[in-house]
Parts: sequence; structure tokens; C-alpha cells
Amino acid sequence: MKIRFNSAVKMLVAASALACAAGASAQSAGQWTAKFGFNELTPKVESGNVSAPALPNTKADVEGDIQPLLIFAYGLTDNISLEAALGTPYKNTIVGAGSVAGVGELGTVEALPPTLFAQYRFFSPSATFRPFVGIGATYVHFMKARGSGKLTALLNPGGEPVTFEIDNKFTYTAQVGLAVNFSERWFTDVTVNKSKLRTDVHFSTGQTQHMKLDPVSVVLAVGYKF
Amino acid sequence: MRQTKFALALLAAAALTACGGTDSSPGDQTHAVKFNQQVTFGDSLSDVGTYAVGAIAAAGGGRYTINGSNTSVNAAYTGLNWTEVLAAELKLPAPCAAQTGLQGTDNANPALDFNVPIVNHAACFNYAQGGSRVTDPIGPGNRAVTPSLGQMTLPVVSQVKNHLAKTGGKFSGTELVTIMAGGNDVLMQLGALSAGATAAGTAAGQKAFPTLLVSGLAPLVAPSNLPIAQQTIGLAIQNAAVAGGDQTAIAGAAAMAAINLGASPLAAQAAAEKAGTDAAAEGAKAGAAYAAQQGPVLVGALGKAGAELAAIVKAELVAKGANYVVVNNLPDVAGTPSGKAQGADIQALIKAMVDAFNAQLKSGLGDDPRIVYVDLFTISRDQVTNPAPYGLTNTTARACTSASSLTCTSKTLSAPDVSHYMFADDIHPTPFVYGLMTRYVLKEMAIKGWL
Repeated sequence: MKIRFNSAVKMLVAASALACAAGASAQSAGQWTAKFGFNELTPKVESGNVSAPALPNTKADVEGDIQPLLIFAYGLTDNISLEAALGTPYKNTIVGAGSVAGVGELGTVEALPPTLFAQYRFFSPSATFRPFVGIGATYVHFMKARGSGKLTALLNPGGEPVTFEIDNKFTYTAQVGLAVNFSERWFTDVTVNKSKLRTDVHFSTGQTQHMKLDPVSVVLAVGYKF
Repeated sequence: MRQTKFALALLAAAALTACGGTDSSPGDQTHAVKFNQQVTFGDSLSDVGTYAVGAIAAAGGGRYTINGSNTSVNAAYTGLNWTEVLAAELKLPAPCAAQTGLQGTDNANPALDFNVPIVNHAACFNYAQGGSRVTDPIGPGNRAVTPSLGQMTLPVVSQVKNHLAKTGGKFSGTELVTIMAGGNDVLMQLGALSAGATAAGTAAGQKAFPTLLVSGLAPLVAPSNLPIAQQTIGLAIQNAAVAGGDQTAIAGAAAMAAINLGASPLAAQAAAEKAGTDAAAEGAKAGAAYAAQQGPVLVGALGKAGAELAAIVKAELVAKGANYVVVNNLPDVAGTPSGKAQGADIQALIKAMVDAFNAQLKSGLGDDPRIVYVDLFTISRDQVTNPAPYGLTNTTARACTSASSLTCTSKTLSAPDVSHYMFADDIHPTPFVYGLMTRYVLKEMAIKGWL
């Protein structure tokens, strides 16, 4: 972690240096861009059943969240770029579904899905509209899983309060987007990301639940080219 | 390479924001409604020790399940019924029996004593008693039907009266009230039906037997004796019956008369046996006919009991200030070992009785924000047919060797591991199933917004 952090500092210095260099007129080879936006992350949930002993078809739904995002990209060539983001974790509410639909919130969990994208940007760097596609490596990290009185009531009433953990996963994310350059330096873009995410929930009662989350995220951002 | 490093640095920085307090935790364990008390009315399924006195206490019993906590052996051996698990989840004191005692046989040895003075406990609010019915005071185990045991079987209607007498005729509005009954109405009605059907069958069999004997034996005699055969054999039967002979004696006398008239002994014996079999079949037919004829009466009686329970909930609980009432409907009695021991006709009748009870109960309760109607029937039926998701390993065998789970403990189990069996005895669940039941009740309470 220390080494990486040092690298980060070095790179930030490098980024500043690059920013000070005589800039190209649009995102192009060797150019850094930074953009700020909001990401709406919506899991497309297909819930498995909580394993025995449970009411058959005890399922869960996971609600989405919106968080701000700071995204950096670097142009390897005029058309190929790398992108990564800094963001706050997404707080997802877990609610009962299937045979326990209607019970309401059973817990919350925070997820941080850092992704490194390789992107291909169409047209020339000076074009007003630049669609892009990308493919990324994602590591989904789940944390701060919080149970509730209801979760305990459903799985272990009168006993030890129930906790749960969700397996972290390496996966991939596909991306399509459109950037609009409205001045030499400023641009706005919209990005849709779709990740494949299958994971397992482990309850403190020993029960498990397989979840297909496959989140879709929609990012709206405004950026600046250095 | 530089770029890659930079991206990794960004990822690292992103990961840093996640640092601190990332562990799982139980979160807020409080519930939406804070109940100040749990008040329970019902039967054996909710009883927490009405009869845990005298010989029953000495045997380590008192609850209608596998008694005693043995969670060190298996976590499912809690010894608790659903009202106790519910109270624990709601952070309420462990329920205690509002009345204790037994009115059975007196004996100086407490291990054999079923006669213990009835005591009312002012600070206990679980009124449920094994054997209790909705309004009828005589349930299974009552001293009127089982004098040796002498259970009080105070009906639910009286349990509610006793509570209201304690509290000045009203509820505070912050109690969780649970009510569940009707099973003993089914069992008592079935008992009466069985007795009636047996009597009808015996009568019909006895009536048919002499005729069958005569018609079976008369043709076997020597041809010259044929004209007097019927009369002679009939007279022998009559004499044997007057002398107080049982069926075997009568059959013997009839066969002997036929043999004396020249019938082959072997053929006479076979004919007498056939007459016995045919008479038994006649009896069974008559018994079934009686049951079929009485069936609708029983279904009607259970419908009435269901309506009465609904009326108690509406007029004596909700109308008197109870804001949170859990009403469990009647589980699938036909699917219990007791139900399955019956023939298909009686099983169908039991189901019709339970259906009638539940239909009247549900329609009588209507849709009320103060009442949670818990459909235990559907869930108990599903547990029998679809045990795996519930974690049940056996839904037919009894976990206990004692006839009633009231005295069942870890010392009287039918197999080394009965922890995930469905039934403790013919009709009552194991602690594991009481736990599942509580989870289902809590689910319904959560949907109602009470958790």
C-alpha cells in the first residue's frame, strides 16, 4: 500500500506537469482528462433462495444508489485511452423479495467497484461528438454489511443477531458512451456501464444465498482536458 | 507503463476511501413497534407449562414438544414453543403459565401425582392450556374424559375472561396478543365420530352375523336335513347368544349344529369364518356410512368454532383495546401422524373440518390493521410435502417415544438425532418447527409494519 501510495503521489505530480504542458486541442495521444459526475448504480437482481432452513423462495432485492465520481483518463493514442475513477462507496439497501416480499429493509451493504477501462474513441480528437466503447477489469469490494432486527427475526428469532458477508469478486464491465466537446477544453459525456456480477451472501446462521447482481451504471459527467 | 501505474494509483486511492469500519455488523436490532407485554390465549401449541406440576414436572415435561434445553447437543433442541421464541425476539420476559395445576389421580408420590391444586399466577399472561377448545370446556385430557390425568382445558373464551378480569376489562393497547385454537375441537369431534362409527359398525355387524351364518351353513347339511337346517342352526345361534356367548362361541354353536345335521366339518368351519368376515365387512360399511352421514355435521361444528374464535378476537380483544393481535389459523391436522393414521375418507373429512374452521375464522376477522392473520395451514401443509427447504429431515415419524410430547424429554427420543423432525408426537411439533413457525409469524408481523 505504501509503495502504491508513493506512486500515486508521483503520478499526481506527473499529472500536474502534464497539465502545464502546452496542450493539444482535444483529447488525444498523451493527454489527461479529468471529469466530475454522478453515477447511478442499479443492480439488476436475480436472487437465489436463502438456503435451508428457510421459507421456500426467500429472496432479496437490492436497491440502487447514486454517488459522485471523479474520473481520470489518459490518451494512449488519439483513439485509445485508459480510464479509472475515484468515488465514494455505493450504499445499497437490501429488501425482502419472493416469499418474504413486503417485509421491507433487511439490511444494507456498501460496494466499491473500482474499474480500469480500456476505451476506444471514435472519430478525430477535434470532433464535437465522440462516441466511445470500453471494456474494463472490475474488482467489486463489499463492506459494512449491516443486518437489522427484521433480518434476525426472519432467520434466527430470539437468538444471536444475524450478520452477513458478501463475497468480493473480480469481474468485467462493458462500456458505451458519448462525449460532447463544447469547447476546446470542456466537454460533457454520458456513459453506460454494465458489469457481470455473481456473488454469494453468507449469513452468520450458516445459510447462504446466491445473487446475480449484474449492475448497470449510468454516469453523467462534465470534464476538462489538460 | 507509467499510465498503468497511475491508474493503479487511482484504484489504490479509491480503495483508501473505503478504509475503516468495513466489518459486518448486526445493525439496528430494534423493531418498529415496542411491545410492553405478550398475552397469549390458546391450546397445547402455545402452552408454556400449565401442567408442569406433579408427575409431569417430575418427568421433566410441561410443554408439548421435546422438553428441556439441550442446545449443546443440537442447536434445535431449545425446548421452547413459538410463544417463547417470539417473546425472546421481541425482548419481552419469558412467558409463564397464567394457571397451573392438574385434577387427576391423587398420589403421595409426586412422580405419580396428577392431582395438584390449581393456582392462578397474577404476573403470568400465557393462558394457553393443553386440550383447550374455543368455547367448549371439555377438551382432550379433561378430567371428564381422562380422569386419571385431569387437565383443566379451560376454553379460550374463559381464558380471555380471566385476563380481562385481571386488567379491569380492557387491554392497554401496547401488548402483543396471540391467539390460536381449534385443534382440540377437531380432535374431540373426531373422537366422537370414531366412537359413533364404531358403535354403528358393531351394531350392524352383530345384526348381520346370525343371518350370514344361517345362509352360509344351511346349504351344507345332508340333503335329507335341508328342510330343518335353517331352523335348527338359527335356534343354536339364539341359544348361544342368550347364554352370553361372543361371536366365536355363536359361530361355533352354529357350525356344530350344521355338522350334527351332516355338514362336513371343514366346510362348516370355512362357512362360519366367511360369515364372520362378511359380518365385519357389513360393520365397516355401516361405520363408514355413519361417518359419511356425520361428516357434514362435524364440518359444520368446526365452522362454528372458527366463527366463535373470530368473534372472540373482534369483541373481546380488539374492541377492548388490543391493537396488535396475532391470530394463527389451524395447521394441517390431516398431515400430522395422527391424521395420517386415519383412512383416506377420514383424512379428507379432517381437511374439510380444518378448512371450514379457517374459512370462518378468516372471514370473521376481515381486514383489520390491528389483526395479523397467519396462515399456518398452508405452511404446515407445505412442510409435510416439501420438507427440504425448511431443513426438515422427517415429517412422518414421531421424535418422542412417549405417547404425548407433554412428558417428552431428551431421554425419550425415538432416534439418535430427531433435531430436525417435524413432529414430537402425533400432533405437536418439535422445537425446531416451533422456531420455523415463529419466523413465519414474525414475517407476517413485519409485512404489517410491526417489526
